[in-house]
Amino acid sequence: MLRLPFSRGLPCVRVVWSAAVRGTASNPAPEKIEVFVDDKSVLVDPGTTVLQAAAMVGVEIPRFCYHERLSVAGNCRMCLVEVEKSPKPVAACAMPVMKGWRIKTNSEMTRRAREGVMEFLLVNHPLDCPICDQGGECDLQDQSMAFGSDRSRFTDIHHSGKRAVEDKDIGPLVKTIMTRCIHCTRCIRFASEVAGVDDLGTTGRGSDMQVGTYIEKMFLSELSGNIIDLCPVGALTSKPYSFTARPWETRKTESIDVLDAVGSNIIVSTRTGEVLRILPRLNEDINEEWLADKARFAYDGLKRQRLMTPMMRNKDGELVVVDWEDALIATASALSHAQPDEIAGIAGGLVDAEALVALKDLLNRLGSENLVTETIFPMEGSGTDFRTNYLANSTIAGIEEADLVLLVGTNPRFEAPLYNSRIRKSYLHNEQNVALLGPKINLTYDYEHLGDSASDLKKLVDGSHPFSAKLKAAKRPLIVLGSQQLARSDGAAILSHVQQLAKKLSSSAEPDWKILNVLHSNASQVAALDLGYKAGTAEIRQKPLKVVYLLGADEGTISPNDLASGGVVIYQGHHGDVGASMADIVLPGAAYTEKQGTYVNTEGRAQQTLVAVTPPGLAREDWKIIRALSELAGYKLPYDTLFEIRDRLDDIAPHLTRHGEVEEASFLDQSVELSKNIASSFDSSPIDVKQKHLEDFFMTDAISRASPTMAKCVQAVLKQKQSKYYEGEV
Amino acid sequence: MALNAACRSSVLKWISSPKLNWKAGAPLASTVGKQSERGYAVDPTKTLEKTSLLHAEEKEVVVTVKEIEDLSPTTGVPEEHVKTRLVKIYSPSKNPMQSGTHNTGHWQMEFDTRERWENPLMGWCSTGDPLSNMSLKFADKEDAIFFCEKNGWRWYIEAPKTKAPKVKSYAHNFAWNKRTRTSTK
Repeated sequence: MLRLPFSRGLPCVRVVWSAAVRGTASNPAPEKIEVFVDDKSVLVDPGTTVLQAAAMVGVEIPRFCYHERLSVAGNCRMCLVEVEKSPKPVAACAMPVMKGWRIKTNSEMTRRAREGVMEFLLVNHPLDCPICDQGGECDLQDQSMAFGSDRSRFTDIHHSGKRAVEDKDIGPLVKTIMTRCIHCTRCIRFASEVAGVDDLGTTGRGSDMQVGTYIEKMFLSELSGNIIDLCPVGALTSKPYSFTARPWETRKTESIDVLDAVGSNIIVSTRTGEVLRILPRLNEDINEEWLADKARFAYDGLKRQRLMTPMMRNKDGELVVVDWEDALIATASALSHAQPDEIAGIAGGLVDAEALVALKDLLNRLGSENLVTETIFPMEGSGTDFRTNYLANSTIAGIEEADLVLLVGTNPRFEAPLYNSRIRKSYLHNEQNVALLGPKINLTYDYEHLGDSASDLKKLVDGSHPFSAKLKAAKRPLIVLGSQQLARSDGAAILSHVQQLAKKLSSSAEPDWKILNVLHSNASQVAALDLGYKAGTAEIRQKPLKVVYLLGADEGTISPNDLASGGVVIYQGHHGDVGASMADIVLPGAAYTEKQGTYVNTEGRAQQTLVAVTPPGLAREDWKIIRALSELAGYKLPYDTLFEIRDRLDDIAPHLTRHGEVEEASFLDQSVELSKNIASSFDSSPIDVKQKHLEDFFMTDAISRASPTMAKCVQAVLKQKQSKYYEGEV
Repeated sequence: MALNAACRSSVLKWISSPKLNWKAGAPLASTVGKQSERGYAVDPTKTLEKTSLLHAEEKEVVVTVKEIEDLSPTTGVPEEHVKTRLVKIYSPSKNPMQSGTHNTGHWQMEFDTRERWENPLMGWCSTGDPLSNMSLKFADKEDAIFFCEKNGWRWYIEAPKTKAPKVKSYAHNFAWNKRTRTSTK
């Protein structure tokens, strides 16, 4: 058996997890070995499998159980190939190549082996493709066409029927039709390796083997939807999408998810102006090929509680439908009748950078500087002047390079599930260690719990904490600060101490290694801070406000009572949620699947959503509404097209238009200097996080709160917790 | 855009190559709109053949086109759909539901989405956008850019996300001292 040495961290080269690093024992590059795939020569690193070597020359070997992001199982046998001078075919996914091997992926022996495997799989597979949701995107279907036999030896002369297996109920998201299962165990490996919820497994042997949870229970994971993608057959399919569409009838739009601050890449499948499902899109730097359940299944919230037409509150206090013209004229007159300092704009968590800049330009032209985000960020010290202060500076992919992660007041598992899955990946494969300062929670991996007292940060900074020695010893430490802690009364002190700790550790860490990370909880915060919005509504609430413009602000951080008498609340957004219910004028905007908008994720990477469907009813793209309003208010904004407003973004912050790229920030030294004068008194209250349990994960914003599927998930989790088999793990 | 500049230079290089030299008297207007597989509107080889037959007796004069010709006035595409459209040039990503990588690796152009609706007659998808279903495939992105520029469309590139190779080993499942050891199957 080949056991490879595990040398992480070549000095000076920070490449982790690449073939070159893990395959080598010492510093010099390993000698490549030459193998021949279908007589094509290829030089590979020692330890490369036959399947990977074939992939390098563009030969794709069929597989069912093998998946790049899961461990090697080698149980489906579909990848059997002939190797010259080997008496038996070898399983390409598990077999490392040897020098000079001649691999034949299309020989008679290989083809016969594949045919045999296909025959065994199909003997027990139902012929229900016409009613199967996987039809059209099924690996078994495709591979039986390409590699299966052209005739069947299966004759059921006794009419005993095929093997049948009882379906399992594993929750409201994943539908199981277990008769279709071919026992590839991908879902089991995903659950135990990536999701960290070891609930799935097999029972029985031979033709009695079943994949399931043994006792009926819900698959309690925030990443459960990924097993639908992983399943190569139709055994696990999407419950909300069941019997909805075939893959060839839908249009796919490559877009970005905005329901958390990670900015996962997604594919939006649509038909006739309706979002039918959302799938992940591969992006190695962000979400790999996974997607969190909220991002995947909250799309039905896009069809409910929508604001379709402009509305205004009448004398009886009811919102009534009006024309765009009336709504805009009323808004413009409210804006022009107020003094500049009596106008405020509040941005919520789902707003794109184009709308943010348009609102800021409009209010600035009116003379107001009261532009804030709902989410709080301490403005003491250097505040949001340096991007270093509010970004996840080491990037999401950079987590894999870290050797020690200190989480401060955050539960990445539910705040940013794919951030957490990276930490878990590094924990498993890179021997990364994790510590948590905050409430004891289940992160799906082991961690050292440092208590939940904020004042422990002081001890960590001055080195008197028992954990300090480990931090100091770490070459690539990483501190992740949850943005919720910044809303505490001692948020500034927490931030400044974390900055100081990061600065202190940078002397013992590798040069140029970034330590400080702030994990945001919504998609628009970074772009808003980049554009010069202030954070938190506390300051503007002190002012005698006459007009408040809520741009998708649904967290209820301001109420009509905060306004002076006769004040007007304007809400622009896409869902009838907290903001719209207290508004006097409602302007219907577009959700993230309906506009081409820029979002910046927590690591500072600008990405854009694309239009998959058009906004419903009279709703319009957000920046266009503000542009139209500016003309009526007498301060016409100088952009008419998307290109022109992107030019404006480019003038303010060029990284906002460089989509896909991370714009790094590096002013930690300066911001630490400026934060030294911040009062360092801590609250006595323990550090807490809002989302502790799985039921807290699903409904966090206007879209997911409107989603029936998300509501069902909450119900199902709560019901599962009543079960006598529930062990109190999430 | 840095990418844009790089692409432009390669496009110009292609332009200045002798492939696109037209002979005098070539029926230019009739070649417009003919699109070869690679996306160029003018197939130089075919043009040459035709002209040499038609004007065999005429003296050869070589005309070199120095910059990208704007074909939009002659393509018949309404002006509205030239000036206001934005083309996305991208390399489609793998279907996350399947293992295979077929239908990926090429470059594709697609227009921005305009309104579509369900047709009340049959329930099919309707649109008022004539370019809604125009999705062309190209071997490389320079071809796609050249095609867009020639037709006067604004474009942007979405770079594909490449995968880093990973070392996979069956032995990791049984490693006695690593966290990759699996206990269940």
